[in-house]
Amino acid sequence: MAVAAAIACRLLRLRAAGAGGHWRRLRGAGLPRGFLQPASAGEDAAQWRRVAHFTFQPDPEPLEYVIFGEDVAFGGVFRCTVGLRDKYGKDRVFNTPLCEQGIVGFGIGIAVTGATAIAEIQFADYIFPAFDQIVNEAAKYRYRSGDLFNCGSLTIRAPWGCVGHGAVYHSQSPEAFFAHCPGIKVVVPRSPFQAKGLLLSCIEDKNPCIFFEPKILYRAAVEQVPVEPYNIPLSQAEVIQEGSDVTLVAWGTQVHVIREVASMAQEKLGVSCEVIDLRTIIPWDVDTVCKSVIKTGRLLVSHEAPLTGGFASEISSTVQEECFLNLEAPISRVCGYDTPFPHVFEPFYIPDKWKCYDALRKMINY
Amino acid sequence: MAVVTAAARVLGSSRGLGQDGLLLLRRLGVRGLAISHPQRQQQRFSSLDDKPQFPGASAEFIDKLEFIQPNVISGIPIYRVMDRQGQIINPSEDPNLPQEKVLKFYKSMTLLNTMDRILYESQRQGRISFYMTNYGEEGTHVGSAAALDNTDLVFGQYREAGVLMYRDYPLELFMAQCYGNVSDLGKGRQMPVHYGCKERHFVTISSPLATQIPQGEDAHPGPAVGAAYAAKRANANRVVICYFGEGAASEGDAHAGFNFAATLECPIIFFCRNNGYAISTPTSEQYRGDGIAARGPGYGIMSIRVDGNDVFAVYNATKEARRRAVAENQPFLIEAMTYRIGHHSTSDDSSAYRSVDEVNYWDKQDHPISRLRHYLQSRGWWDDEQEKDWRKQSRKKVMEAFEQAERKPKPNFSLLFSDVYQEMPAQLRKQQESLARHLQTYGEHYPLDHFEK
Repeated sequence: MAVAAAIACRLLRLRAAGAGGHWRRLRGAGLPRGFLQPASAGEDAAQWRRVAHFTFQPDPEPLEYVIFGEDVAFGGVFRCTVGLRDKYGKDRVFNTPLCEQGIVGFGIGIAVTGATAIAEIQFADYIFPAFDQIVNEAAKYRYRSGDLFNCGSLTIRAPWGCVGHGAVYHSQSPEAFFAHCPGIKVVVPRSPFQAKGLLLSCIEDKNPCIFFEPKILYRAAVEQVPVEPYNIPLSQAEVIQEGSDVTLVAWGTQVHVIREVASMAQEKLGVSCEVIDLRTIIPWDVDTVCKSVIKTGRLLVSHEAPLTGGFASEISSTVQEECFLNLEAPISRVCGYDTPFPHVFEPFYIPDKWKCYDALRKMINY
Repeated sequence: MAVVTAAARVLGSSRGLGQDGLLLLRRLGVRGLAISHPQRQQQRFSSLDDKPQFPGASAEFIDKLEFIQPNVISGIPIYRVMDRQGQIINPSEDPNLPQEKVLKFYKSMTLLNTMDRILYESQRQGRISFYMTNYGEEGTHVGSAAALDNTDLVFGQYREAGVLMYRDYPLELFMAQCYGNVSDLGKGRQMPVHYGCKERHFVTISSPLATQIPQGEDAHPGPAVGAAYAAKRANANRVVICYFGEGAASEGDAHAGFNFAATLECPIIFFCRNNGYAISTPTSEQYRGDGIAARGPGYGIMSIRVDGNDVFAVYNATKEARRRAVAENQPFLIEAMTYRIGHHSTSDDSSAYRSVDEVNYWDKQDHPISRLRHYLQSRGWWDDEQEKDWRKQSRKKVMEAFEQAERKPKPNFSLLFSDVYQEMPAQLRKQQESLARHLQTYGEHYPLDHFEK
């Protein structure tokens, strides 16, 4: 466990809380919309600008884990790897040439020998050159060799999702491309606490995993995160708020949007919403979602990625198969439009709380 | 001065010359004489100095406009030890291997050849779905395999069965994979010739080989480089060897692999089998430069071109590359020139794009097996009588394994579903159960008799 727990993910700068017990406070700039409630203001404000920080904890088998990618050595463009090279050495924390197919291919090779590889792709938007390596190689390694070989100790991390100004190539959410690929796992956290537990699980998981990190949350999220390692299980959705009238499903940043929509629905319509964070895209937790829809009879799925072929379609399709007679209204998908992600039009493009609220209202009145 | 600095740059700080060493070399003149440059002490940048300061290249200025002409007329020379008649040209290059070892070379190559003939035929008879022969390239497999340690990790493309043969992979398992029967270690998941063997450190061959796949190319040097990096970190004294054809070398993955291997200082041998064709595409349509060997220096990789049909040349080059790759943690590129005597696969008829005369030339005049046989005969280690016996014996062995393989059933159909993940996800288990139920009702329409219960 110590070995496996060697990686602790801190989405924000760690600061000792008060007398510095085993809990540390993570601070960051609050988003204007205040997705997450800021923790108490006591800490020094200068620290709050630091973004995602990724660190190895000291472990008894330090040789096994390596982390690499473009600009990883100096700390990374989102500062996720700051300080790691000094601490763990340049043969464990290093830059690669600018080549995503090489980064993933190289990571697969390390994993084939049994060592743990954490490959960083600088933006999820740039993962496509590595698509062949991920889909044809990583995902199929175990199956095609009859379990003689595998690259289970590979984890690929990439910043994901909209950020306010990212436009076409710094805002994408490509999870749906990978959902169609048996053999890999795809995970998206909604908060710092979730991120650490899920990332540790991905790293320890014996299958190649892709961990998409909502980049807007690098700065925005504020949460108490334990310093010791802990795991959050993969392929388990979380019901973060129970309700009886509608089921709302999302992942990553969008979970905060639907949580707000749930409050709005309660306040304005007296409607009780069950809010689910899917967390793992594949293999996904069908049972939790279906159980919820059987109870509520209504489902709304929301994601930033374009509507057509987006992962909401898969959820929708499965739920109507499993829960057809329980449905009171057609399943609603509130997603990005079928366009590339625009720059100045972002506020119109994203599936914001008004669009979700409106769709919910229509479902209730169906 | 330029030469000295360039040499220092190539050797680099990781190989013993620190920054101070480099600065010292810069201060020395061409003949190694110290020249005083008072304004140029420890400072790395100086506007007074007219020398280039660019971080991206270590070179001198030139004031004449001149493009470098790629040299394809007289390219990198081809290293060989034996002539086409199997006679040693330069005795100091003879590896002087013991008789037993050279006989193992010969027997591996010929046994492979025999197996190829029989399995090719079996595809023609509809007994297996697909096959690829190794005709003409046996020397590249066996020469290189013999120069490695048994624990060196092999990443192949698909025409390297001789490496497995040399490592004593049993005929039974070659056949099992081709038939996809219950003894196949790969559990019947892949087309024939996609061998893999953990015990013999031969990573399972990847990617579909059907001729209609446009990508066509299967070699993925990236993983090989990663494995080499891990071996280096583990101080394993192991090298990784990555085989690929000259066609695969056009893939972006090849470029990525070379560049990563060089920048990350990995103990890897890139072994290119340049056999003249990528299915129907001749080398003149595959590249315009001087083959693959010439690309190595562009990445900072030590490179050599060898006669791939000369098993001793292949052996010598691979042996030396291995020694240095491990000792110095750097990649080596070996381009083995050879010729693909057979068709690309059983789905190909190469008479559509090349002349029978061309093929016959290589089969009769420059074949790795005949050249080695001449060598053996001239040493008195082999004769016609032994040849006859061995041919009979190897054919018998192959036929026995073949008949046994054919009799065995395929694995149980439920193995369609395992190993996608280490643990089977709930949704997949549901799908597995649904197939089982489906077969209970509709089983008669499925070839269940050929599959293990």
